[in-house]
Amino acid sequence: MSVKYLRRAYVSFATHVYDVPPRMLAFLMFIALAILPLTQLNLTILERLTYANMIAILAVSWDLLVGRTGQISMGHALFWGVGAYSAALLFQYFGWPAWMTIPITMLVGVGIAVGIGIPCLRVKGPYLALVTMSLPLAVVGFLYYYPSAFHADTGIRLSALWPASFGWTGSFLANYYLSFALMAVSAVIIYKIATSKTGVVFVSLLDDELASKASGINVTKYKLLAFAISGLFGSLAGCVQGYFASSARPTAFDISLSIIPILVTILGGIGTIYGPLVGSYIYYLLYYYVFPPIIRWIAPSYAASVGVAGQQLVGFVIFLVIVIIFATRWPRGIARAIVDKLDDLQEAREIGEKK
Amino acid sequence: MLLEEIIILGTVTSLVYALLALGFTLIYGVSGVINLAHGALVMVGAYIFGALVGFFPSLFPAGFSHVAVVVLAVILTTILTGIIGSIFYRLTLHSILGDQIATLVVSITGCMLFAQLIWLVFGATLTARFPVNLFPGYRTLLGVTVLNDQTLGAVVSIILFVSLSIFIAKSRTGMAMKALSQDIEAAMLMGISVEGMYMLTSAIAGAIASIAGVFIASIAGAASGDMWLSALSISFSVVILGGLGNIKGTIVGAVIFGYSVEAITLLGGGGLVASFPFIVLIIVLLIRPKGLFGKHVEME
Repeated sequence: MSVKYLRRAYVSFATHVYDVPPRMLAFLMFIALAILPLTQLNLTILERLTYANMIAILAVSWDLLVGRTGQISMGHALFWGVGAYSAALLFQYFGWPAWMTIPITMLVGVGIAVGIGIPCLRVKGPYLALVTMSLPLAVVGFLYYYPSAFHADTGIRLSALWPASFGWTGSFLANYYLSFALMAVSAVIIYKIATSKTGVVFVSLLDDELASKASGINVTKYKLLAFAISGLFGSLAGCVQGYFASSARPTAFDISLSIIPILVTILGGIGTIYGPLVGSYIYYLLYYYVFPPIIRWIAPSYAASVGVAGQQLVGFVIFLVIVIIFATRWPRGIARAIVDKLDDLQEAREIGEKK
Repeated sequence: MLLEEIIILGTVTSLVYALLALGFTLIYGVSGVINLAHGALVMVGAYIFGALVGFFPSLFPAGFSHVAVVVLAVILTTILTGIIGSIFYRLTLHSILGDQIATLVVSITGCMLFAQLIWLVFGATLTARFPVNLFPGYRTLLGVTVLNDQTLGAVVSIILFVSLSIFIAKSRTGMAMKALSQDIEAAMLMGISVEGMYMLTSAIAGAIASIAGVFIASIAGAASGDMWLSALSISFSVVILGGLGNIKGTIVGAVIFGYSVEAITLLGGGGLVASFPFIVLIIVLLIRPKGLFGKHVEME
């Protein structure tokens, strides 16, 4: 009996992951991330990876909404910020513990997503992009207008996630594994949704909305569903990251949090679901551990004069250039490009064999 | 008193906002490209102008008139920013024409890129301010204090609007742009170079953006590292309010936006200025999803 299940799991793995090189890469990266803290315990690296995990969730939720259904959101920071802030407000005013606030926060995220999704059904394309982009900006202005209620200047402190007995290192490790588990679970759930029947309907909305409507698909329902799922995971990521940082500030609505998920998704491949995961780790790897040493190596005196922050800024500029090149050369993402190329090669080989 | 303030300052602000959005709407009207890098070009213009004005006095003999320096700097700024905008368009957005998601993503990335480059070159941070001054001083009109730069900005805005409308309506190049906005294939058959026209449009839009940037920065007293975002959101909102690609609609959008901002500020809601325009925008879009003036009206 169990052999049968193992066999089935293996077949599923082989067809879904092993046969597609970029997915295999993503899978290996998963394993590497899981065992990394066992080999080397560096708190800085752990903290950065924890953050990268959360950004990965945000990016995947963005990819499901934009890459699959084609509803352009340029304001995913809204979900992130709503996640962090609603948990913080619940803690501040009611003193609720994390295990209560996190699910409620996710519900709030869904509520907000549906709340903005219903009116946004009327606007399309660039108009939708603008409305979503301006929402977080409007919220930030609002937070600063009532600074005493929202503690806009100092931020709201959040309770510690772990008991004090965990210690400093222990809580970092626990943070890391919690974020890793959340990332893995969210990624698998979103991947499952994207490959299910619902996911196929999502893609039909992207390809031809009119045709899907004509086929009897309830377009409104599926659009809202995509918004809701995206809001659920986006607010989860923001909320948990709020707990990790133990505070919620208006910077949680910052435009950079709307743009970074887009950048990493473009890097990994839009509409692939696993692409943004890989992209977000590559982004943080490049940002912290690849660009600064290269800059120090090429231009030591310049690097010394600008300091680490300046080196990271230069690195970010290089990263942006890379993303622009990727997005203009391969608009559907690097992963798609590789898969297509491999398919072409395979086809060419088969044709060659026949001859 | 309050009413006069709202009317005069609202008019001036509206005209400056219209100037800010003009380049954006021009590009969309001609090529259908939503170039979010417009916000960054505004900032690029302001910084280039500031650098030139800071650099020029060492070049010219003492006693060289301030007006001449400013005019020279503005001309150089518009040329440089126009070239930058045009090259950016050709290198990035031209190859993904028609792909809306990619265009939005690439242009917002380009926007970030320009902003970061400026931070690098000018050692700026988000809060550091880079002094930009055209003509310091102010005048009083009906008891309302108006900065010289605001007046000049409003006048320049009107001049640019009128001349651009005439350019599009009368000149050969302008008519070619209009033709492209109506039917690309027919325009190509008539021997119009799509690439060249789109690059020219981007250059004109970049030049106008830089002028707007100079005025915006000068009215605020300085250019800052985050002005691209406000410039982008203002111009995007104005354009959307009036309907994308519709030059007349842009003026109406700017008027609504400018007056509402000034009214809110003067009525004491200073803190809400950051969010109120967006609320107006969201409400308008929800009532009329394609802006106040319907969709993509033919360029006029």
